[in-house]
Amino acid sequence: MATTELLSPYDAGASQRRASITGWLTRGGAALPIVALVLLLPKHSGDWTNDAIFAAIYAMVGLSMNVLVGYTGQISLGQQAFLGIGALTAANVVHSGTNTPDPFTFALGMVCAVAVSAGAAAVLGGIALRIRGLYLALVTLVFGAVTADAVFTIPSLNGNDAGVSAYRPSAIQTDFSYYVFALVMVGLCVYVDVWIRRTKVGRGLIALRDNELVAGAFGINVLGYKLLGFVLSGAMAGLAGGVFAFWSQEFSDKDFTAAAGFNKALIFVVMVVVGGLGNRAGVIAAAAFFALLDPIFSGIASGTGWLNFYTDHKAYISNIIGAVLLLQTVIFNPGGLGQVIRPFTRWFAGHPFSLHDEHGDAAAAALGGGSDVRA
Amino acid sequence: MHVVASAFSAETNLLTPLISGIANGSAYGLLGLGLVLLYKSNRIFNFAQGEFATIAAIVAYVFDRGTGWVPKVPYFLALLLGVLAAVGTAMLTERLVIRPLFNRARVVLVVATIGVALFLIGIEGMLPYPQTASLRTISDVLNVRSYVTRVDHVAILDQDLAKFLALAVLAIAAFVFFRYTATGTAILAVSQDATAARVVGISVERISLTTWAIAGLLGGVAGVLLAVPPSGSVTPGSITGLTLTVAFSAAVLGGMTSLPGAFVGGILIGLIEAFANADESFVPGLSSLPTAQAEVAVAVVLLVILLVRPRGLLGQEA
Repeated sequence: MATTELLSPYDAGASQRRASITGWLTRGGAALPIVALVLLLPKHSGDWTNDAIFAAIYAMVGLSMNVLVGYTGQISLGQQAFLGIGALTAANVVHSGTNTPDPFTFALGMVCAVAVSAGAAAVLGGIALRIRGLYLALVTLVFGAVTADAVFTIPSLNGNDAGVSAYRPSAIQTDFSYYVFALVMVGLCVYVDVWIRRTKVGRGLIALRDNELVAGAFGINVLGYKLLGFVLSGAMAGLAGGVFAFWSQEFSDKDFTAAAGFNKALIFVVMVVVGGLGNRAGVIAAAAFFALLDPIFSGIASGTGWLNFYTDHKAYISNIIGAVLLLQTVIFNPGGLGQVIRPFTRWFAGHPFSLHDEHGDAAAAALGGGSDVRA
Repeated sequence: MHVVASAFSAETNLLTPLISGIANGSAYGLLGLGLVLLYKSNRIFNFAQGEFATIAAIVAYVFDRGTGWVPKVPYFLALLLGVLAAVGTAMLTERLVIRPLFNRARVVLVVATIGVALFLIGIEGMLPYPQTASLRTISDVLNVRSYVTRVDHVAILDQDLAKFLALAVLAIAAFVFFRYTATGTAILAVSQDATAARVVGISVERISLTTWAIAGLLGGVAGVLLAVPPSGSVTPGSITGLTLTVAFSAAVLGGMTSLPGAFVGGILIGLIEAFANADESFVPGLSSLPTAQAEVAVAVVLLVILLVRPRGLLGQEA
């Protein structure tokens, strides 16, 4: 499909005033510390590399939630299932035992992870399209639980409960090279996100989110676009799952069943809302924050002598932090983190620095209730 | 073809699942009642309902045991204090979270209740009490035998009978409350049109607070009856994790707007689960874990209901 030349309403400011050469240089300079943080810190510290890959995986999941919740306005409490499906597929397709897989098998595993997750999302979406309003949240919740408990526990798929090993190919064997690979995959998801927003697909989805009846009356294919939203979201989460499998170097159903799975489902909702629905920079930042919550706080705790207390209570502490951030976002700051950092992200994109942004309410509208969803 | 190895037995395949299904179903119905109440009045799904129950169970446990500065009180007073704690938590939730969001999209309120659930689980986890413990059963306290009667070899437990009776009484009481009292009618009026309700002199704020207090009461009663051995405990998040999804399915099956529906749906879902567990080959090819079979059965029922009859068995509207 040819992309149209029209910009989406949210990018309409893009053509008005862009930075000069000096302006771009300043922005480049200002971006240096961020680039250094993202690239150099993981390069020089082993633990941080591992955590950084995890953050990249969460960023991908965050972007997949963003497509579903931010653009289509459907709430999903089963996204961890797609992550798991991706991880399970990748590990089982590669299935190299203790050997290093060749690059082709690895690529095949990743492609299959995306395809199978997208297929599962199409099935779920096909059902979900026929279910109105908030009931969808229940269906995704049950979908997540059933997938985890009834599919991930099948012995022939999870290595007889011992886990399926997933070793990395030799080219991206080391943690840092794998981290770079993960960043490229995040870039791919960002590209898809940008593509959605810039083409009529995104405008169609957002029109649907804001008012389904009106959008339908304007000739938007309601069922088709909703299904597309589901499939794209599932595909991204599946990709994240593939990266997850080769990060932990195995697929283990225990990462996705029972409390571990339910916790993931909730934290994914929390991070997309806290990041700001429909705002990719905010969502990525929030996702990375929640992925790095544990290493950051265990660092603080051990520095202040609270390490034992922290280790005993860490699941609960992250619950409270997530919940407080979520509640303050929905009550006081519906645009989320993305809205807060928007003056800066717009400045980096070449616009003049301004705290007042005429398009800035786009994200807030997603949560703010232009659409009063009454089931 | 697949051949089922074990022979059919009336006791394992009929009687045991029948009795355990009604027992578990009572639990789902008790939690489902609160879900239905808030759906009926606010049009939201309350994901914090399981935590209202857990808080009641924890407070009841602490007062029953009497540790540290907490005085030991008689068992039934401890249960009452637990239920009151749940009511208080629910009212605080309304005041601090729900009321600021009153005019926002329903999906925002649902997300907010998820936040409340996460927050409550976190707070419970920080409290210093033995988190894997469970409440004493009623028969333990009264020092009587633990079962009412036996049918063949299958016992009907006192505690399960208490759950069932509590569910029946509360479902009928809530039904009568909505049908015949002024407050109940006012709650329905606010749910249908808050502005119009305000115009005729109903205090929307007070009604909202009352509704959440009742939801807390229902959750609290569920909590103090569920957190007992063998399967129940006062572990943070345990009631949400084990029961909430199923309770939602029960409420949907009964009809999200019908309080007697929560009763019927709860018992039916309990029975479906129990019979799915009893037959080893219920879903051929899928995981043979009993919980997986029960979950698949419940999921199929939920989907069929949502697709074929979204208003449920006893609901009045979609």
